[in-house]
Amino acid sequence: MTPSPSSNEPKTPDSSPLQGAVDASVSATSPQSGQKRLNAILLKIFSQAEFNLVLIILVIFVVLTKFGGTHTDFSSGRTISNFFNAGSLFLVATNTAFFAIMAVGMNAVIVTAGIDLSVGSINCLAGVSTALVLQAMTNAHMTSPVQIVAIGIICSLGVGTLCGLANGLAVVLLDVHPFVITLGMLWILRGIAFILTKAQSINMPQSMINFVQAPLGFHGGLMPVPMLVTIVVAIGGWFYMSKTAMGRRIFAVGGNLEASRYSGIPVKRVIVGVYVLAGLTAGIAAFLSTGYYGAASSQDATGYELYVIAAAVVGGTSLLGGRGTVIGAVLGALVIELIRESITILHLDSNYQQIIVGVAIITAVVLDRAGDKMRHRRMVMAQARIKESAASSA
Amino acid sequence: MDGAHVVVTGVTKRFPGVLALNEVSADFLPGECHALMGENGAGKSTLGKLLAGLYQPDVGKICLNGQICHFNGPLDAQKAGIGIVHQELLFCENMSVSENLSLGNIPTKFGQVSFSTMKKRALDWLELIGAKVNPDTLVGNLPIAQRQLVQIAGALGSGAKVLIFDEPTSSLGLEETHRLLEIISKLKSDGVTCIYVSHRLDEVFEICNRATVLRDGKLVGTVEIKATTKEQLVSMMIGREVTFEMSGNFTGSQSAPPLLEVNGFSSLGKFSNINLAIRPGEIVGLGGLIGSGRTEVLEALFGLDPAVKGTVKVHGKPVHVHTPVDGLKCRMALSSEDRKRNGLVLSMNCMENISMPILDRLSRFTIIQERKERSVSQKYFERMRVKAPRLTTPSAALSGGNQQKLVLAKWLGTDGEVFLIDEPTRGVDVGAKAEIHNLIRELAAEGKAVLVVSSELPELIAVSHRILILRLGKIAGEVPANLATEELLMKYMTGLAA
Repeated sequence: MTPSPSSNEPKTPDSSPLQGAVDASVSATSPQSGQKRLNAILLKIFSQAEFNLVLIILVIFVVLTKFGGTHTDFSSGRTISNFFNAGSLFLVATNTAFFAIMAVGMNAVIVTAGIDLSVGSINCLAGVSTALVLQAMTNAHMTSPVQIVAIGIICSLGVGTLCGLANGLAVVLLDVHPFVITLGMLWILRGIAFILTKAQSINMPQSMINFVQAPLGFHGGLMPVPMLVTIVVAIGGWFYMSKTAMGRRIFAVGGNLEASRYSGIPVKRVIVGVYVLAGLTAGIAAFLSTGYYGAASSQDATGYELYVIAAAVVGGTSLLGGRGTVIGAVLGALVIELIRESITILHLDSNYQQIIVGVAIITAVVLDRAGDKMRHRRMVMAQARIKESAASSA
Repeated sequence: MDGAHVVVTGVTKRFPGVLALNEVSADFLPGECHALMGENGAGKSTLGKLLAGLYQPDVGKICLNGQICHFNGPLDAQKAGIGIVHQELLFCENMSVSENLSLGNIPTKFGQVSFSTMKKRALDWLELIGAKVNPDTLVGNLPIAQRQLVQIAGALGSGAKVLIFDEPTSSLGLEETHRLLEIISKLKSDGVTCIYVSHRLDEVFEICNRATVLRDGKLVGTVEIKATTKEQLVSMMIGREVTFEMSGNFTGSQSAPPLLEVNGFSSLGKFSNINLAIRPGEIVGLGGLIGSGRTEVLEALFGLDPAVKGTVKVHGKPVHVHTPVDGLKCRMALSSEDRKRNGLVLSMNCMENISMPILDRLSRFTIIQERKERSVSQKYFERMRVKAPRLTTPSAALSGGNQQKLVLAKWLGTDGEVFLIDEPTRGVDVGAKAEIHNLIRELAAEGKAVLVVSSELPELIAVSHRILILRLGKIAGEVPANLATEELLMKYMTGLAA
């Protein structure tokens, strides 16, 4: 009876309602007309939820390249852009990597309508406990690089997973809102890190640093490992969320917990699972960041949870649950990092950084929603046209 | 209290892609109860909402006592004396009845909220309709029927001369419906203009003087209730004659072992000592007033009540069902009374809703096999005749009847054998009702055991082979389909017969 309002427009990664309109417009066109088919393909690209983000990122790229200024490279003597050069871009990618990886886990949590405020602390605890274990190994003269890296991976991922498991079990068994549980864990885990390290910074063994900083054939001090891991995690996360049964259940639980329970979905297991995922990704980020920076301390990753949540939200994940994409969350992390970066590149007063980031996050989300609304309107119009043409042909 | 003469002339309302109302005219007299009828999507609720100022007409005008009105919002309509009793009741559930009644106009004394004035006002207003509701109760703790009374009291108290009831009885039990209808009759005799939006024929015939029927946004006609019959009204609504087909008595093998057998089924404070047996192919109706424990029995059978005692046998084998996961394993299927809350995930499309309980079966190494998911869902989607442009249409876009069919399709996909169906056609229009009844019969014909709960007695009688009546948590009687009449069932429900 009432027209479907855009507010409850359903969205899951592989079933955008636009898909319907697009498919319909494709089938409505005759197969011979290549122009129309091209239009349909273009419409499909534009109608992806992430398209707005890609647009925002491109705009920032252009602005930074155009207004970032240039400097003379002293080895080659050529004039190069302050922003659009390999070194800067790798730096952006690396800084994004740590947030983006955690945003993959956070996306899953927020899709279930939960929240995890403890990912920064999990990251920190995973980092320092790995550093301590590796330090003990070094002291015990177990210095084989393979052993160090393997134990490093197992330890950081393991601690992250265990912390996530603790979060998930607490949320499910104590039946307290995840905001409260993970807010408590934010302090508890950082407190444990503080006690373990006795407030000291602990250096990482050189073989782990070498692993994370491996140039893999790049020259000029470029370090692609964090970026590559991010890509792998993003693809893995995308696959998990949109192609597997567990991923689908995450969307179901976030969309309607009661209906999921009534459908025989093990709701509690799904909820524990997403916190484990958030912990695991925090552990991966911890392994990379401690290896990259060469040390771990109990002050690491302070406030990261807010960046990670912001990345997911900017990426289109709904805090009400049931809606969000992994790719969106990763792009959201990139947007935030680019905005931070632009303050340096554009020589803005860095004292204003927090204000600029805050305004930018709100603006990005508002723009994203505006794009959604526009696309929704287009879809409604398209459907109406299809209906009318069907009616006139009948 | 006096009413107002409301005249609607040539109103048209267009929503994106839908012409909801197409040059509709009607008039509503003081002291009459005027029904607005039509199938879902016919435009009856839209007309009600136009009158209440929730929508604005694109073309056409609304006159109140001869004066043209322009309502920019519900507040304007309220000032003009038009109140609406909503399908979805709008209240601040965390506040008391008296606070809710004064929300728009909080009485103050020396700048402080005067709770005594507020309470007195609430008592006065509730008295207008003789409602016995404690004004200090939190609205969230009131049953729906009483919330409706509060809403009516609020509308009258703030000076409404015209009251629009938008499907007021869709979630009420028989007794509450009766009480509401009595109140409407009283309002009517006080001269209030009552506009009753509903597709329940019995109620319309009980209290309404005239009925205006809409179909696909167009006016079909206005008729005097006294000069018409139910059949005529139905054929006006749907453009063809429909009477509920009857399932009749069970004709399958009487000696076949029961598919579902329940003995000594009890849950403290909900129901006690329920015994029932359903043979393959049999449809058993479960009737009773609201609160008699009907829904609770179904939910307990499906594993939603961990405290339940008694034995349940499926195919003669005892089963222990403590969670819905167990229920699913024992091939039970529960289509719950509130499909939006417990039935569907509205943010997902039709296919995803159908495949939700069977993802394990559809995936290999936990990866969903898309082709298999599509073909399996398609099968049940078509089998249940869900009307949607395609399998990937968002479930939120479907009409109530099709959402209900989608829920049944979901359970058909699980290879369920025991179908527990709670209110199969709540908020579903007449044509779709008959179709859902047929689908239920088809399920039974495939050898499933079906247990149906319904508040609508004609439906219960039409669809069941035999009917069990629950009263105060106990089985009060059993009636075979050929002997079932509404009067007899009512007697069992209210304890007049035993």
